[in-house]
Amino acid sequence: MRSYLLRRLPSALLVLVAASFVIFTILRLVPGDPATALAGPDADAATVAAIRERLGLDAPLLSQYAHWIGSLLKGDLGPSYAIGGQTADLIGDGLGATTELTVAALLFVIVLGTAFGVLGATSRSRWLTGAVRVVTTAALAVPPFVSGVLLVLVFAVALPVLPPGGRVAFLTAPDLAAQYLVLPALCLALPSAAVLGRYLKDGIERGLAEDYIRTATAAGIPPRRLLWRHTLPNALPPVVTLLGMQVGNLLGGAVLVEAIFAWPGLGQLAEQGLQRRDYPVVQDLLLLLVAVFVLVQLLTDLVYAWLDPRIRWE
Amino acid sequence: MTELYPLTPSGPSRRSTLRAAGGGALLLGLGLAGCRSAVSDTSSAPQGASAEPRRGGVLNVAVNADFTPALLFAQSGQSLQQRLIYNTLTRYDDRLHPKPELATSWTYAKDGRSITLRLRDDVTFHNGRKFTADDVIFAVKNLQNPLRAAQLRSTAATVTGFEKRGDHELVLKLAHPVNNLFDLFEFMIIADRESVEDAVAGKKFIGTGPFQLKKWSPGSGLSLIRNDAYWQPGRPYLDGVELRVIAQADALISSLRSGQSQLTFDAPGKSLGAVKSDARLTISDYDTGAGAVYLGVNTTVAPLNDRTVRQALAWAVDRDRLVAQTLGGYGLASAAPWPKSSPAYSEANRTHYTHDPAKARELLKSAGHSRLEFPMLHIALPGETAIAESIQYDLKQVGVHVTLQPTDGATAQKKLISQGMPALWSLGHGFAQVQPSTLAVSAYPFNEAKNTSKFRSAAYTKVVREAWTEPETDTAAANALHQKISRILLDEAFLIDLVVRGQLQVSAAGLHGVTLNKFSYLNLDNAYLV
Repeated sequence: MRSYLLRRLPSALLVLVAASFVIFTILRLVPGDPATALAGPDADAATVAAIRERLGLDAPLLSQYAHWIGSLLKGDLGPSYAIGGQTADLIGDGLGATTELTVAALLFVIVLGTAFGVLGATSRSRWLTGAVRVVTTAALAVPPFVSGVLLVLVFAVALPVLPPGGRVAFLTAPDLAAQYLVLPALCLALPSAAVLGRYLKDGIERGLAEDYIRTATAAGIPPRRLLWRHTLPNALPPVVTLLGMQVGNLLGGAVLVEAIFAWPGLGQLAEQGLQRRDYPVVQDLLLLLVAVFVLVQLLTDLVYAWLDPRIRWE
Repeated sequence: MTELYPLTPSGPSRRSTLRAAGGGALLLGLGLAGCRSAVSDTSSAPQGASAEPRRGGVLNVAVNADFTPALLFAQSGQSLQQRLIYNTLTRYDDRLHPKPELATSWTYAKDGRSITLRLRDDVTFHNGRKFTADDVIFAVKNLQNPLRAAQLRSTAATVTGFEKRGDHELVLKLAHPVNNLFDLFEFMIIADRESVEDAVAGKKFIGTGPFQLKKWSPGSGLSLIRNDAYWQPGRPYLDGVELRVIAQADALISSLRSGQSQLTFDAPGKSLGAVKSDARLTISDYDTGAGAVYLGVNTTVAPLNDRTVRQALAWAVDRDRLVAQTLGGYGLASAAPWPKSSPAYSEANRTHYTHDPAKARELLKSAGHSRLEFPMLHIALPGETAIAESIQYDLKQVGVHVTLQPTDGATAQKKLISQGMPALWSLGHGFAQVQPSTLAVSAYPFNEAKNTSKFRSAAYTKVVREAWTEPETDTAAANALHQKISRILLDEAFLIDLVVRGQLQVSAAGLHGVTLNKFSYLNLDNAYLV
């Protein structure tokens, strides 16, 4: 395994180096730069020059790149140019908020998706199955920027029971934090819950048509036990695979939902960083995402190699 | 095809479904009842219905952007916190007369080349250090530093010498007389000189203001708590202020309507329809004139180098429609940059150009043009795009076909200050709300020496310099100079002003005593919640 790891490691590092170069270059190609963004619309040339010098933007590009990589290797992400504070703190805070939102949304996906699937497949009430169909279709069809606004209008404005936006850290006040989390997590979860519910419904319906269910029914096993002990567990594996894929969608969707609900996560941080041309924040954030992707790929390859020895010897 | 087994096990019965739903609702209800409500928690006004000022309560202010520590000493998009954490030397009243703050009185030398300031002796910074004349000296020198990107740096730079007379009296010596020194004093926050680098790095904000920083969460907002040692006895009334960043306009309005926030200055006028009918909220339009919408013209692009063509554009735009349709009725249609509170304001200047497409076509014809095509840059945000489209429509009616160039704010800013703008652009400007000379020496688009339009005129430079160095501001001579500036701006039309905008405040009906200074610094010294 160790030799396999050593063989895979250089390509992973190469991807990281190439990604860092591409990120650095593309950011510099985008019009506008941090010095002019910071200087403001009334700045004169001396002001822009002074800011440029302070930020080190007057140095040659290769030197700037080397400085960035050198600082990263020392574990120092440095200060943010425009947003303020340390880049590591900004990314850490944003990561915590986005993870919190994604995990909460995942819980909603599991609970709502299971409810949609089970009710849709087994209920004998036509209005209930019809309602589940309508809800899942609407959840899939309505984009988060519409469902988010609707949720806010209903639960924060018409029935002011939940806050329309913002975040309270869980460790500070868990009771308030949960209330701040409900609407954005629900908004983020709805499309994935609908997808999950439909897959689960199909899986349960297929399971119920199997011969062993007919036999078990004939043997007098109670219907509820048939559903929860025999049908549902067999319908779950493909749904769990789908759930894994939905996590990616949730993370991606979080960017939009964060904007609607003023949730200070990575999406908002990336947007702010790009708008203000905050190079350190955007560079480090993008490279972090690439690093996570590379790490996951590496781990997946290692697991495959562990499971199938032939791969190690290829 | 798989046939479903006809005897499907029953799913949850109606009874069990209702039981599960009821149980869930009960759990949720108990959970919510057992803990604080995030909604009621946010509108924490002191108890009692009296309209008299009362101590206590935390005010939640919704802002659409976080502040930028690196721009702490400059006018940036978000300046509300300035007068909460810090103080200024003086503050203007509505007629631009300076009133005492940290400076109690002042005397100008007869030749206008120095000013003596007497300072309060009972002021301490949040860290307990006494405020002295050295802090004022530092504040002026700090603004002279180009790194601070302060728009009033040119005025700060006229202070060439300091003479301390004890800890609380100071003489500022000027290179030449200037009449916008009190603009500087209104603009310049007095920060603790020992921690100023920490402040611009976003680590520590120490001032003498009514509130001190509890926590800054970048991108989320600021938490401020009452400064118990504030120099104004019994002030502030509020226990704290929360500035919460809510970037999306709909979410910002929702936060007000739900009671999560009690104050904002960032609600777009066009989105206020629902707010107007809400008795719990009040809309106030401050005549600060701190912002204006204008059409910029690159005077080096033919045929825009012809003043007649530029004037034709100024006649072509329907300013009243712009105010009514794209700004929700908030703003003053004006051909000149000045708000009504400015000494340079005159009704004749405001209506110098009105909507007259026939006259615009006639001017274009006299200049030899019947059809023109130009690119026009604007910022790709909903409000700015609507303004650009409105201008595009009006110009098309007179034969000027405009191709919109939507761009992001950072790119627009770079083009603005590097003279890289295309033929036309639509943006906003500030600095017309204070002394008129400040506009021409501190706002880059109007700068007499170098501006975005690449407009140069010896007459403009001369009159701007004269107005800036005229010691008095309320005299007939000063007013004559203001009118000369206006006349050049209107005749040359290198910047075509369209709408003067005030600060639109939306607040909870129970909030009283809120004021803003001329640079949109929020003053909550006398604010209270009932």
